[in-house]
Amino acid sequence: MTPSDADGITPADESLDEVDLKLLDGIREIFQAADPMPTDLPERIRFRLALRGLEVEVARLAAEEHQPSLAVRGAEMSRTITFDSDSLTIMIRIDPNLDGTVRVDGWLAPPQRREIQMKNPLDSLTVASDEQGRFAFARVPRGTAQLVVRPEDSEQSGAGRSVVTPALIL
Amino acid sequence: MPASQPDRSERIARLVSAARQGSEDALGEIVTELSPLLWQVARAAGLNSSDAEDVLQTVWMRLLTHLDDIHTSAALTGWLAVTTRREAWRVSAVARRQLPADTELLSMLPDQGPGSEEQVIIDDQRRILWQAIGQLSPRCQELLRIVAFVPRPDYAAVAAELGMPTGSIGPTRSRCLAKLRALLAGDLEGSSR
Repeated sequence: MTPSDADGITPADESLDEVDLKLLDGIREIFQAADPMPTDLPERIRFRLALRGLEVEVARLAAEEHQPSLAVRGAEMSRTITFDSDSLTIMIRIDPNLDGTVRVDGWLAPPQRREIQMKNPLDSLTVASDEQGRFAFARVPRGTAQLVVRPEDSEQSGAGRSVVTPALIL
Repeated sequence: MPASQPDRSERIARLVSAARQGSEDALGEIVTELSPLLWQVARAAGLNSSDAEDVLQTVWMRLLTHLDDIHTSAALTGWLAVTTRREAWRVSAVARRQLPADTELLSMLPDQGPGSEEQVIIDDQRRILWQAIGQLSPRCQELLRIVAFVPRPDYAAVAAELGMPTGSIGPTRSRCLAKLRALLAGDLEGSSR
């Protein structure tokens, strides 16, 4: 029941004729062309919704740098991205692999052992960081991805909260 | 496409009921289906791209606590549009309250490259429509822009919820549409003289 039902306005569009409908179609086409929604936005929202209910800290993008990549010739760049949250700083370096995937090397500060999950729309990869806080994903598909840093042993009390990064494009 | 419009509304209603029962996929499909509408709502309120994205994230998160009260496609679309507009206004008031001026609207029209004859005719029709929209009040521009993205069977309910002024022509034919038609009719008369 919407307020318009209560007002007695029928939620149907009999009184809009073909001309009106054509005009609305035209208006939609114009704005779709002039001001399109970023195509990956729904995907990023879905990511975020899927994480609800977890007790998480959301890390913020703190810095991003680009350098020419040593691994692959051409215009491909290596990117270094830093995320900050209350308890953790996550730095990752993304380098293109020759097979079209990317390699992701990461560091946690302060250094600690954690479970690191790389989520993408199709599946997820999980690795562990070492005592120096280092971790690496050798081959990650390009596209949207998101990092979730979990306590090494979530059963253990006081293990710390999970930290998630915003979705990023690899 | 028009043939699928009533189906779209029914499909959304089914997705809402599945989402209420905890289906992540159904919720995700609703997000994919209706985010383009909410994008236009946020942008029509004058937000830049990154603020518009933040507002959409916020609104979708907030929907989760309201799903139990929402049962129809029209109710969902109306709630999302109204909540997005309210949140967008809140955010733009923090930065600066500014509706897109007519000139900005016109400058958004994509450049017309050389195209086929058919494309030229379509571009021409769009240009005429665009210029007519530009002559409407900012409020009518905003409302028509939003309603154009609403699933068709829900037009009337959502327009009413957004406070779209209705005229004497019919309960749901809004004054904004009537004004647009009058402008276009005037334009055609003018060009045939």
